[in-house]
Amino acid sequence: MSSPFPPSSSAPGKGCLIVGQSPQKLSCLSKMTFQYPLKLISPSPASHHKSVLVFLLTYGGGLVGGDQVNLTIDVQKASKLSIATQGHTKIFKSPTPEVTTRQNLHVTIESGSALCLLPDPVQPFGESVYEQSQVFTIHEKGSLCLLDWVSAGRTARGEDWDFWRWSGRNEVWMSTDEQSKPRLLLRDNVLLDSPIVDKELNLVKKKMQGLEVFGTLVLRGPHVESLAAFILKEFAALPRIGARDFRSQEKKEKDSSIVLSHEESWRRDRLKQEARDGVMWSAAKVRGCTVIKFGARTVEGGRVWIGGMIKEEGSMVQCFGEEALMCIR
Amino acid sequence: MSANLDSSPSREAVRDEIQHLQRRLREAEARLRGTTSSQDAIPKVLASDGPLAASSQHYLLLLSDSALPLGSFAFSSGLESYLAHTRPKSSFPDFLDFSLSSYASTTLPFVLGAHRDPTHLIELDDALDAAIMCTVGRRASVAQGRALLSIWDRSFAEARPAGSSLDVVTCLKDFALQLRATSSAVSSAGPVVSAHLAPLFGAVASILGMSPQQTAYVFMLSHVKALLSAAVRASIFGPYHGQKVLASTDVQKGIQRAITREWNTKVEDAGQIVPVMDLWIGRHEMLYSRIFNS
Repeated sequence: MSSPFPPSSSAPGKGCLIVGQSPQKLSCLSKMTFQYPLKLISPSPASHHKSVLVFLLTYGGGLVGGDQVNLTIDVQKASKLSIATQGHTKIFKSPTPEVTTRQNLHVTIESGSALCLLPDPVQPFGESVYEQSQVFTIHEKGSLCLLDWVSAGRTARGEDWDFWRWSGRNEVWMSTDEQSKPRLLLRDNVLLDSPIVDKELNLVKKKMQGLEVFGTLVLRGPHVESLAAFILKEFAALPRIGARDFRSQEKKEKDSSIVLSHEESWRRDRLKQEARDGVMWSAAKVRGCTVIKFGARTVEGGRVWIGGMIKEEGSMVQCFGEEALMCIR
Repeated sequence: MSANLDSSPSREAVRDEIQHLQRRLREAEARLRGTTSSQDAIPKVLASDGPLAASSQHYLLLLSDSALPLGSFAFSSGLESYLAHTRPKSSFPDFLDFSLSSYASTTLPFVLGAHRDPTHLIELDDALDAAIMCTVGRRASVAQGRALLSIWDRSFAEARPAGSSLDVVTCLKDFALQLRATSSAVSSAGPVVSAHLAPLFGAVASILGMSPQQTAYVFMLSHVKALLSAAVRASIFGPYHGQKVLASTDVQKGIQRAITREWNTKVEDAGQIVPVMDLWIGRHEMLYSRIFNS
């Protein structure tokens, strides 16, 4: 006997998310489907929410070896979406190096809309194999704020970049209209693997130079323009490496008694934090996108640093609401 | 170069060797018959000898020459910044290792891609431009790429080997024209043609008849030579030690390993395998005193 129900179109790990604009000019979810091991949760909408908040979750807080997650997101005209996670996305160990855990994200950002993706870092356990691909197709007037970061694993258990393989791909394509082919603006691939032939020699650990977390922040579009400009300005204002202080003792004392502006004192405190937590970062403009790469000696140090930058500038809270920033505070 | 990677040049070398041996056999037979005196046996004009006779080998030597005016001496590929960031624990062998694998993983697929099909030069150039994440690295790549394009235009184009295909040559010409056209009208999304070193090197080497193996090896070796030259000028060690490192089996194996790893990597899959390298190169601008441009 044939089933009276139509065949299911959902596959394991598949999800779809569409955000549109309601007649009241509020962003609202128009579709949200997902299947194990992927889980999406969205708090009920309220008029004071500046963007739709969706939690990107997985059952058990992580992906077991071989899990595949495929999420498609469409942020329709003039709507805003924020995506957060609840804690690190754990990547559990794979039975063999051939079993790959995958997470694919396809996002379309239409004209005037904005996506803020500020998750917790991915935490690959020892002997895990992980591939992540995030492809964003943005309309000329769409905005994107993307944070992608990875940690050294369970450092409390002595793990230090002990996975078998980790690869992350972030692509930004720009579309002007529906007919023409999207143009590649940015392709940021990071590939980390250690050859398993030699167990004693962990090449990834050596390459990471004592960093416990490494991340990339990509900014593009009108909604994040002021944040991008702020970070580029802070990068240009970094003290020169290897510079010496030629001031006399008297001059130093005189200078230290001057009351600093808020900006200057914030910068001074941030520089202290950077030195304390071994934060190393650089920022650059790449074909209309602003790319910030950073590493820190502790995950917490990295979180404090990136959170501090975004909060100090302030436009993200105004645009997406406090909730969007919950993973970095 | 290993035998499996290098099948066609080694076959060429064997053919040359056979010719060489045949000639020696003829000479020896002539001597045996006593028809020629020993003085006449010395040829008036130096006969082309061994594998260096082929024109591709000639261009191989030109492209690997440190006098090739690419301006590579102005760049340290992050070495200067690495030293400033890791002092006093800096280790040149470590950096060389990082730099070799990082340079190969980010650029070698583009060299090989352009060598395989030089007609896709513009697309490859655009894709590489999208994949360079720092201003300093982009500047270094573009400066050397433009220099190579000028060398091609002004010096190599007329001397190209007879066998080279014409549409590839016109492709390079188009590329140069488009570069000039875009540099005057810069859009916010960035120019389509930026003339990065890697794809241009592959295309030029392909026209000059070099094999993909030779191209990859020379490309990587030039990088090592530029690094060592920078290290000598940054007073890490002296020129003799520099040559010692350059001649070492470590460097040979390192280059070979990097080439083997990237041999089949698609352009879309090229990526950074030493993430800290982007930080070091990107932070070069933050150094108080600099002797290099990258």
